[in-house]
Amino acid sequence: MRKRLVLMAAGTAFTGLSQGVLANGWNMPAGVTDVSREIHSLHMIIFWICVAIGIVVFGAMFYSLYRYRRSQGAKATQFHEHTTVEIIWTVIPLLILVGMAVPATATLKTMYDASEADLDVMVTGQQWRWRYDYLGEEVSFISNLATPRAQIEGSDAKDDTYLLEVDEPLVLPTGRKVRLLLTSDDVIHSWWVPDLAVKQDAVPGFVNENWVRINEPGIYRGQCAELCGRDHGFMPVVVKAVEPEQFDTWLAQRKEAAAQEAMGVDREWSREELMERGEQVYGTICASCHQPDGSGNPPTFPALAGNQALLDDREGHIDTVVNGVSGSAMPAFRSTLNPVEIAAVITYERNAWGNETGDVIQPSAMAEQLSE
Amino acid sequence: MWNVIKSVLAAFFGVQKEARRREDFAKGRAGPFIVVGVVMGIVLVVLIALVASLAAK
Repeated sequence: MRKRLVLMAAGTAFTGLSQGVLANGWNMPAGVTDVSREIHSLHMIIFWICVAIGIVVFGAMFYSLYRYRRSQGAKATQFHEHTTVEIIWTVIPLLILVGMAVPATATLKTMYDASEADLDVMVTGQQWRWRYDYLGEEVSFISNLATPRAQIEGSDAKDDTYLLEVDEPLVLPTGRKVRLLLTSDDVIHSWWVPDLAVKQDAVPGFVNENWVRINEPGIYRGQCAELCGRDHGFMPVVVKAVEPEQFDTWLAQRKEAAAQEAMGVDREWSREELMERGEQVYGTICASCHQPDGSGNPPTFPALAGNQALLDDREGHIDTVVNGVSGSAMPAFRSTLNPVEIAAVITYERNAWGNETGDVIQPSAMAEQLSE
Repeated sequence: MWNVIKSVLAAFFGVQKEARRREDFAKGRAGPFIVVGVVMGIVLVVLIALVASLAAK
């Protein structure tokens, strides 16, 4: 009677615990791709095999400790070498390991087969943001953290997507095979989205491959998973999966906008237009180091507001933005930003926060300077 | 020779009878064990490579 009660209590506790762990988001998610579901079911099968082995091994140990305790007069049998038992405890783990390796290898093979993709997206890690290039589509953009500073500094309440939200998510179609080509501009980052079962290093000088075919539309969030410097926790990944038709429309719109911007290089821009565009670019690219109010974070990130050396040297300012400063944290934006963006952001920096040089840098002049 | 191969196989597997171990140390010389060990190590690597390339097909 007592034994049955103990067993029942243990059983209830066990089921309760395992259900709690599975339901509370402590477990890895099953995800929204065929591969992620395969990985999840492998993980669960192997987990339960380990649980069973644990119960058998520890059960035998604790039973023996209790049943043959010294106070009951148990005497240890001293023997050395038992070939049959040794063979059994070698062969059983071997069979279990091979049994787990076969389905795991099959899944690995699927994961590594990035061939015959419908769409190629280049994913580039930068300190501290992600850039996405839709290869062959002339569409590319930078995806920045969108969590307000007030939440980070603690003056506002944090919402559910705290540090997991961006200004522009990576938009992908459902039902199509998308190849991801991952690399980095500076240090090693890692592009990780648990629901897609992708966690791949982005290494400077190398291009890593991965792929996804998303089954369900939705928003999937992830983070950089390789410590990459001060703002490692501030460069989240957000993937927005939409129906293929919706994706095609979106892509066409982005292409159109990119073409418009390219055409904008030739025309004369007004100071107001440049300031507006410049503020936008500054906010997404420069503000994370030089701060939204241009106060910087000296000595690593110099102030731009009221920086007399900068304001006196217009050509030096342009050179710094275009070519970066070697040996410092300032990257070259020659290939990251287009001439409109570079001209606008420099115009903004030379006229905002009380900087009143009155300088206006035209995109056409910038384009000419860049092509030299 | 056959005894050397059996002992090397037992070493690969990790289980050996105490009596055989004593016999090897009493009668055997190190040379044959080393040569057979290296050769069978190579055979094992080739076998695993074959299985892997078969699985990758």
